[in-house]
Order: sequence, then structure tokens, then C-alpha cells
Amino acid sequence: MQHFLKGALAISALTLSLGMAQAQDLAPLNSDSEPDRMDWSELEAKFGPLPAPAAGTKVGGVSKTLTNEYWRSLGQGYQNVADKLGLTFVYQAAQNEGDQLGQLSIAEDLIAQGFAALLFSPQTDANLVPAVEKAKAAGIPVLNVNDAVIPTAEHYVGNVQKDNGVRVAQWFIDNRPDGGKVAVIEGQPGVYAAGQRTAGFTETINASGKFEVVASVPANWSREEAFNAASTILQQYPDLTGFYANNDGMALGVVEAVKAAGKAETVAVFGTDGISDAYAAIKSGDLTGTVDSFPILTGEVAMEVALRLMAGQDLPRVVATPQALITKDNIDTFSTTDQAALRAALLK
Amino acid sequence: MLSLLRFRDAGTVLGLLIIGTVFATLAPTFLTAPNLLNVLQQSSINACVALGMTLVIISGGIDLSVGPVAALSAVLGAALMVAGVPVPLAIAAMIGTGLACGAFNAALVAFGGLQPFIVTLGGLSLYRALALIFTGGQPIFGLPEGFRALTNGTLAGVPNPVILVAVLAILAHVVLNKTPLGEYFLAVGGNPEAARIAGVPVRATKFAAYMISGACASVASVVLVGRLGAAEPTMGTLWELDAIAAAAIGGASLMGGRGSILGTLIGCIILGTLRNGLTLLNVQAFYQLLATGIIIIVAMLVDRLTTGKQG
Repeated sequence: MQHFLKGALAISALTLSLGMAQAQDLAPLNSDSEPDRMDWSELEAKFGPLPAPAAGTKVGGVSKTLTNEYWRSLGQGYQNVADKLGLTFVYQAAQNEGDQLGQLSIAEDLIAQGFAALLFSPQTDANLVPAVEKAKAAGIPVLNVNDAVIPTAEHYVGNVQKDNGVRVAQWFIDNRPDGGKVAVIEGQPGVYAAGQRTAGFTETINASGKFEVVASVPANWSREEAFNAASTILQQYPDLTGFYANNDGMALGVVEAVKAAGKAETVAVFGTDGISDAYAAIKSGDLTGTVDSFPILTGEVAMEVALRLMAGQDLPRVVATPQALITKDNIDTFSTTDQAALRAALLK
Repeated sequence: MLSLLRFRDAGTVLGLLIIGTVFATLAPTFLTAPNLLNVLQQSSINACVALGMTLVIISGGIDLSVGPVAALSAVLGAALMVAGVPVPLAIAAMIGTGLACGAFNAALVAFGGLQPFIVTLGGLSLYRALALIFTGGQPIFGLPEGFRALTNGTLAGVPNPVILVAVLAILAHVVLNKTPLGEYFLAVGGNPEAARIAGVPVRATKFAAYMISGACASVASVVLVGRLGAAEPTMGTLWELDAIAAAAIGGASLMGGRGSILGTLIGCIILGTLRNGLTLLNVQAFYQLLATGIIIIVAMLVDRLTTGKQG
């Protein structure tokens, strides 16, 4: 009986430790804080020049929706590398950002078609999980590329969302030494990127001790909702120093509200993403700045990471892609369409 | 009447065959067993929702709240499972949630005298809000593997969700065509006043329709949560439109009184086939949407020409 008990204990201990080992393999991914990571700029130094793919290699990409400039630009980046190296590249997207099942169907349909690697930008953290599992079973490497984070993803390429808010907070600390009241216009509640960007900004600016975040409200990525929220906040706090919006669309809504309130001279407005409208607004002086995450370059880096994985290189789980705070002072350097020049500027 | 419906079903099947033939010619991987099973599996969630929707439409109503009902069931069920409640109990709670939401909709329609469109439009926001408030907007992960195995398993090579939908469809077909309840659905949808005078329990019939629709949405959420391994409060966006489209392609009249379970099923498969085939051909999403729109309109035109009356 005792032997039996000991045996049972040993077996359960063994299964428990096995289970834990398995769990360790796939700790739920947090792309901002995952320790197994590197910056895109170190890729070449650590892993050598980009390995050339075999002739006829096919790579597939599935992103959120092509109605958003960001995802079109990301696809452009994928295509740039594919064209340069003679890869066949297929880029598909769902009909809109709410189409979770449609995106899953598209991703599943691609798996059976002989792609050497797949680049997924899921609508939500969960909606592409079955496709990821299916691809894994078929032995196809999957990269999770910005910005929803699949917890079981083995490879993630994207920017550090939290750093985004930190950079804007740092601008306020450096350029408004007297401090003041600031407000945050958040993206959709519950979305990882929105939460991290807001947290990065709020934590950094609170730590300075001179600023007060008087309002932090969600506007669901909508320009109109951001306009309304900013108008209300400006009425309540006429002495506001500045706004930080989780994306550029909302920031441009805030700009309109600031102009309507006649406070364009005193209120600084920052956005996120670096869309072309934001660049135009910075040049015309309406928008103070944006944190550009360079979608085309991100696409190029992601495709390069895919090629390295196909060649069997043992890359870290997360590869962080570039971003930079763009203001009137440096906009000329970064408003180039020449990706090689952009890389040089970022690596400087 | 019955032969007319069968005739209409034959038209829907013919439509599917034409679309299938086109894809089979253009995309070599389309006509393979794994891909066809893939289409069926992808269509199964919409089919599940559309079965309930068809019964509501036949009875002269509409249910716009199916997606949020599914989301609410999903997050409640997932929370229970994560808290350690046995899987069968959690699934029962999910379906109970769907029945309760359906009963709430039906009460407002049958006793409140409100229009189904408005009631379920309200429900669309209400149930979504409850799901978001309950979760704080965050997805719920970490569901038991035993639960996932239910929906990810296969029986004789056929994915379990496909079998589940087939069983539900047979049930719905029998209810609609072989039971008094089915006659009540058709009568209430065709002419509610005449039905009431003829002694049909109109209110009870409406309760049955909306509660079945809610339960179907919950079953769809069970399938999806199992497949995703997570429950998200945002899931189920625009499900109502996919389900209505499938029912309409299958010959259901939005004026009530007419519709077919087989037609709806084929309608779901047509929508799933379109998405699958166009993806295999690498057609961009915008054109996929265009194709879906054209198919729905063509189906309606064919409907009008073959039945020779409006609706």
C-alpha cells in the first residue's frame, strides 16, 4: 500500500513538473515585458546578413483591414522585401476591424496552401488562436505582427506600446518645465495597445511630480468621439497644458476641438502612429507631434524576421520594431519615403 | 405551398452548385476533402445562429441581438469554467443565458407590444454592455482543455461543430414542418390577426421563437469559445447580419410566414464557400464584400421571379 502511495505521489509529481515545463514553454505573451527579446537594430549584428530564401518560397500575411492606412503600409513593407528577394507574397485582410470570424476563416484558408511562413495581425488577442494552432500542427512558423497579442504566439514582431506613451510624457517634462494639467484620450478599453500607451504616459508624467492627469477618457479610436471628449475637457479645464491621444485619428479630432476653443497657441496635442494626415498637421502647426511606429519599415523588419526563422535562426520571442517622436524639429528627416534613408536616420 | 418551398430549396442548392463549380475550376485546392470540411466548419457558427434567426423571421420577427447574446453567454460561461465549475454546468449556464435573453426580448415584443426590430436593437446594446461591464473589456483565457476538446474534436473525420449543427438543423426542420409549433410560427408570421382568431397562442409562439434564437446564439458561443480557447466580450460583431443574409438567401421572407431550414443551411454554406473560394483565389477583402452583396441581391431577384410575389 505504501509503495502504491509513493508511486502515485511520484507519478503525480512527475506529471505536475511536466505540466509546468510545458507551461513554461508557452507563458502567456506580454509583448512589452517579455524578457526573451531584442531590438530590430541588433538583428544584423547578432545574426548576420539576411539569409536568401529558396526560389519559389511563398509567404502569406493576414492583417486587420485595408480601410486603415496602417495595415496597407505594413503590407507595403512585406511586399518591399518580397519583391527585393523574389518571394511570392499573398496579403489578405478582413472586411473591417470588427470582423473576427472572417479574419479567422481567411487565416485558416491560407494554411493549407503551402506557405513557408505566415504573418498574422489579429483583430483581438483570441480570434486567430485556432489558426495559430493549426499552423503549428502543420509546421508553419507564425509571426504575430502588431498589435493585438496572441498569448500563445511563439514569435512577435512589433513596437513597444508602453514606450510610445513614455516618449510623449518625456516631451512634456522637457518642454513644459513648469508642469501643468494634461489629459489622455484613450483608444478602445481593453485593447492592449491602448492600455499600455496610456499607462506609459501616465506613469512617466506622474513620476515627474509637476503634472496632473486631470482626465483620461476612452474615445474608441474615433475622431468624432475624441473631438467631443476634448471639447468637454477644455471647458472644464481651460488652463490645460496638453493632450495625448492613443492614435492620430483621435489626435486630429482633438486638434479641431482645441482650435474651436481658440487654444491652439497654448495646448499641445500629441497623437500616435504617424499617418500621413498627422504629418501634414504637424507641418501646418496644428498637431504638436506624433509617435511614428513606421509601418512600412515594421513590415520590412517582420518579413526579414520571417526569413531568418525559415532559415532556422534561433531568434528571441519578441523583436521590437522602431518608433520615434516626430515634431516640427525633426519632421523633415522622417517624412521620407526612402526606407533605406529612414533606417539610417533611426540607427543614428 | 410545400412544393413551392421545395422548389425554392432546389434553387438555393443549384446556386451553391454553380458557385462551387466555378471555384473548383479556378482553384485546384477548393475541391479537396480538408478544404470542404474547412468550409463547413467555418460556416457552422453562422449556421447555428441562422437556424434560430430563421424561426424568428418565419414568425414575423427579427433578432438583432444574437451577437451580444452570444458574447454575454461566452463570458459568463468562461468565468464559471475558470472558477472551477464543471464544464457541463457551465455550458448549461451559457444556454440558460441565451434562453433568458430571448425571453426578455419576447416579453417586450409580446407583452410590451414593441416592434421586434427596436426591441432587439436595444438588446444589441444592452447585452453587449453587460458583457463588457462584466469583464471590464478584457478577454477571459485559460479554459479547461476538456471543454476545448468538445468543439475541436471530430467524429469519423467530421468536425464536431458540423455534426452539432446538422443535429440542430434536423430538429429545427422537424419542429417547423411536423409539429403544431411549426404551424404556429408560420401562422403568426403569415397573418397574426387571423392566427389569433384561429386560436393560435400568439404570445407563447413568440416566446418560443425568441428563446430558441437566444439558445442558438448561446450554442454558437459554446462552439466559438471552445475553438478560440478564450471568451471575448467583443465577440459576435455583425453576426445578426450574416444570419439574416443566410436566411434570406435560403428563401425566408422578412415579412414573415415563409422560410426553410434547409434553405438557410445552404445559404450559410454559400456565404462560407464564397469567403473560402475568394480567399483561395487571393481576391482582396473589398471584392469579397462586393461578391457577397451581389449574391444576396441575385438570390432575392431569383426569389421574386420564381415565386412571382413580393417579399
